[in-house]
Amino acid sequence: MFEFLFKYPASVFAKGRFVLLSSWPVWILAACCAAAALALAWHVRRNRANLTGLRPAVVWMLESSFVALLFLLLWRPALSVTTLRPQQNLVAVVVDDSRSMALEENGSARIAQAIHVLDSGLLSQLRRRFQVRMYRFGGRAERVADGHNLSGGQNATHIGDSLSGVLSDSSGLPLGAVVLLSDGADTSGGIGRDAVAELRRRRVPVHTIGFGRERFSRDLEIAGAAVPARALPGSRLSADVTIVEYGYARRKARLYVREGDRVLAAREVTLKADGSAQSEPIAFQAGAAGGQNLIFGVEVLEGEENTANNAVTRLVNVEAAKPRVLYIEGEPRWEYKFIRRAIEEDHALELVSMLRTTQNKIYRQGIANPKELEPGFPSTAEELFAFGGLIIGSVEANYFTPQQRELIREFANRRGGGVLFLGGRAALGDGGYARSPLAEMFPVRLPEAKGTFHRDEVKAELTPAGTHSPICRFDDDAGRNAEHWTRLPALADYQETGELKPGAVALLELSAGGRRRAPLLAVENYGRGRTAALATSGTWRWQMLQPLEDKTHEIFWQQLLRWLVMDSPARVSASTPRPVLSDEIEAPLRAEVRDKAFQLVTDARVAAHIVGPEGLSVSIDLPPEGHEPGVYTARWTAEKPGSYVAEIVARRGDEEIGRDVVMFRREDGVAEHFRAAQNRELLEKLAEETGGRYYRPEQASRLGEEISYSEAGITVQETRDLWNMPLVFALLLGLRGVEWMLRRRWGVV
Amino acid sequence: MRFWGRALVLGVGLLAITTLFALQRSRFRPFGDEEDDPAPIPPDAREKTEYAFARLRYPSAGRSWWFRSSWPTDYPKADRQFVQGVRRLTRIHTRSMEEVVDLDSDEIFKWPWIYAVEVGHWQLTDAQAKRLREYLLRGGFLMTDDFHGTLEWDVFMESMGRVFPDRPVVEIENSDPIFHVLYDLDERVQVPGIQYWYTGRMYERDGIVPHWRGIYDDQQRLMVAICFNQDNGDAWEWADHPRYPEKYASQAYRVGINFIIYAMTH
Repeated sequence: MFEFLFKYPASVFAKGRFVLLSSWPVWILAACCAAAALALAWHVRRNRANLTGLRPAVVWMLESSFVALLFLLLWRPALSVTTLRPQQNLVAVVVDDSRSMALEENGSARIAQAIHVLDSGLLSQLRRRFQVRMYRFGGRAERVADGHNLSGGQNATHIGDSLSGVLSDSSGLPLGAVVLLSDGADTSGGIGRDAVAELRRRRVPVHTIGFGRERFSRDLEIAGAAVPARALPGSRLSADVTIVEYGYARRKARLYVREGDRVLAAREVTLKADGSAQSEPIAFQAGAAGGQNLIFGVEVLEGEENTANNAVTRLVNVEAAKPRVLYIEGEPRWEYKFIRRAIEEDHALELVSMLRTTQNKIYRQGIANPKELEPGFPSTAEELFAFGGLIIGSVEANYFTPQQRELIREFANRRGGGVLFLGGRAALGDGGYARSPLAEMFPVRLPEAKGTFHRDEVKAELTPAGTHSPICRFDDDAGRNAEHWTRLPALADYQETGELKPGAVALLELSAGGRRRAPLLAVENYGRGRTAALATSGTWRWQMLQPLEDKTHEIFWQQLLRWLVMDSPARVSASTPRPVLSDEIEAPLRAEVRDKAFQLVTDARVAAHIVGPEGLSVSIDLPPEGHEPGVYTARWTAEKPGSYVAEIVARRGDEEIGRDVVMFRREDGVAEHFRAAQNRELLEKLAEETGGRYYRPEQASRLGEEISYSEAGITVQETRDLWNMPLVFALLLGLRGVEWMLRRRWGVV
Repeated sequence: MRFWGRALVLGVGLLAITTLFALQRSRFRPFGDEEDDPAPIPPDAREKTEYAFARLRYPSAGRSWWFRSSWPTDYPKADRQFVQGVRRLTRIHTRSMEEVVDLDSDEIFKWPWIYAVEVGHWQLTDAQAKRLREYLLRGGFLMTDDFHGTLEWDVFMESMGRVFPDRPVVEIENSDPIFHVLYDLDERVQVPGIQYWYTGRMYERDGIVPHWRGIYDDQQRLMVAICFNQDNGDAWEWADHPRYPEKYASQAYRVGINFIIYAMTH
């Protein structure tokens, strides 16, 4: 319709500049229009007859507009546009040949639809006017003779990299435009700014033709799975799995975690509204030490259009290390005994404890040698920071020297350890912590008053946050787990605390003596580490008042202490920001190196020994990162798909500072199955930013004409007359017609 | 007739009131009629504490109806004198008055340390034996004391054999932490009962040699500590008496305290 009325496509108007071709000056046009308007005003006023009110003004306006338009046509209005010079420019036709283009829709694959568009005239149109270079691309662009080599078999879709490749291939040539045929399902995380900037600099418009449905009608997709990168053997882990569904709203689906063929956990979920991302937690047990390839997925539902996006793989490094936790207790208590018993059953943890049995005697258990902790609580960073977690029982704040209190603070803040404060008659508020420098470490505000510890029974109540915490999980099923908590015997005692601090989370609460609910177990992050407060010393009742077979008490303490130490870094802490390389080959490796006092080490020699598929074994150095002291990085190319284990060792001189293991996995072609619907937004944005246009396949035939208007390549300035646009004639007739109709209506014809 | 009727009503009323008084126990002296050696009730008797000396009330074997049960032997003076020592010598938050517990309800599970005296006369029912087994396996601790000679050992084992038919009673090695958790008790002697005053004899019946025996769980933690051929209870009871030798009282206190701290740490 637009082209019928305006004679030219909209893109001509968008790119063209309005000009008047007549050699007469424009001021004469303005003067003529003004003179005509005055003359018509005088004429209408004199002959207004029965015209009253605003009617003479309306007639005057219509007649003046008509005359002004006629004068304008005499000055020959036109558009001046830059067009590509025929046969002297190059047009790159770039076709997405990735796996997502092989998806079948409406009886044919997207790639077949793209070939059909090219063969049904677009390619011949382009070839008549330009030299055409054809490319296919996946991870990068490569030149092909024609569309017959396209199969939709490439493992990745890197649009930005591919366009950069096309620009590079045509450097020095008059590249007039790029025609991109794609579904826009980019797997590299988006089109890089560099590629767009280069296209804009060379003024090369990218015209995009989008293929594929913009959303599936029936599909389940795992859009993400967040799981800890590290775990202790046998730990209960909780992963957050994000599901996106189309066409199955309110239906049930089965969410699972597998390692190989072994299902670690599974549960039923009710799917929410179409297109909304729904996060579902799933709890499972980490297995024995070693790398685990865990598959998080939903079982395929009947009629799904894309079943390859129902599962994702994540790596979890189950560490063989046995973190040590130091527990200082100020008086013999049943809680102490039963905590020790619970942790003795956990082969992944080591509990070292020191108990003040009398005023001057400390009974030590779990020590590595008779000398350990002999002088009492550690007073040096080297000694204290060797532990990954710290439990402070019924010990007054003043029992610690100012230096030890600072060490405890630094234990969480700098060393990244976990500190757990227990309730007791010399703990929390009653222990004088509210006024000590350690007060800031608590996740709750502490009352300054004494007498907050009560030896009265109270029930622990699970909070919504506690429902999803691996600390409070006894059953993988959230409903059964909540019911389990209601059945637990009462605690032997409790301690009053204040409100939660900002950023802290209460996992358990209590309501006693008619008071409002108060935090019982609260946790928060503190510096590089984490802290927790458990305002009771009476969980031992869960052991003594329940059948021997019941493991609630043991599991609770094991999970709490595992949480306490799980993220406590070792002196050498290795990581990678990309544990899964989706269609990428370069693995970034990072190691942070600290000494025994956990101060950053800047003069270490750091090397990684990498073991990978097909017996690969290679060593590389990690040089110091210039901007971050104590950090050593390297980028290594993973040549083959599969799982890799990198053991990173740091040395200073002949002394080994420490070692750590990081795992990563290269996956080729997997990302292609995710977010596989047409990303129209990306294609439109790319076209808009480069001066091109987005087309649906059925509109592609117009591209042959419109592509000529480009400022890139070898161009020529052309003018397009506007006086003979059908719209002009329609306007002239319309103005006269409207006046005639109005006069008829007003009876002044 | 009228007189006899009134007399009958009066008699029934008196009987009812007497029975009521007999059945009603003092809040602070629930077993006042069974006290072997009464002692004053401490002013802070009902303080809520971490630890209380829990004395096991069990049925006795072969006792005539006129003879008192064996469970309250030395009760409550021994208990109250002993906990004074626990309070003074350790940091355990200890109640000044004992708690009497039995194996007929689950209340016993709230008291993870129990003391049973003269177990050479106990006779547990099967239900009680089962509950004691469960109690010990969950983490409870039993100290037995004041039984002597072959015959009483056999009686003790008749019930204990039903508690743990599958676990042996063994001599506790000197190296065991129970003898070192607070006091080093490598050199122990036989602690005599009160008969030492008037006979000068250290032992009773044919229990000439003292034994410290025990029953361990699967993790080699002591669940039952058996003081055989010795009488720590008498030592606690008579520790304040000039005629009772200090060295025996001291050892009895140390053994008792070690047993409590062991139970609170293992």
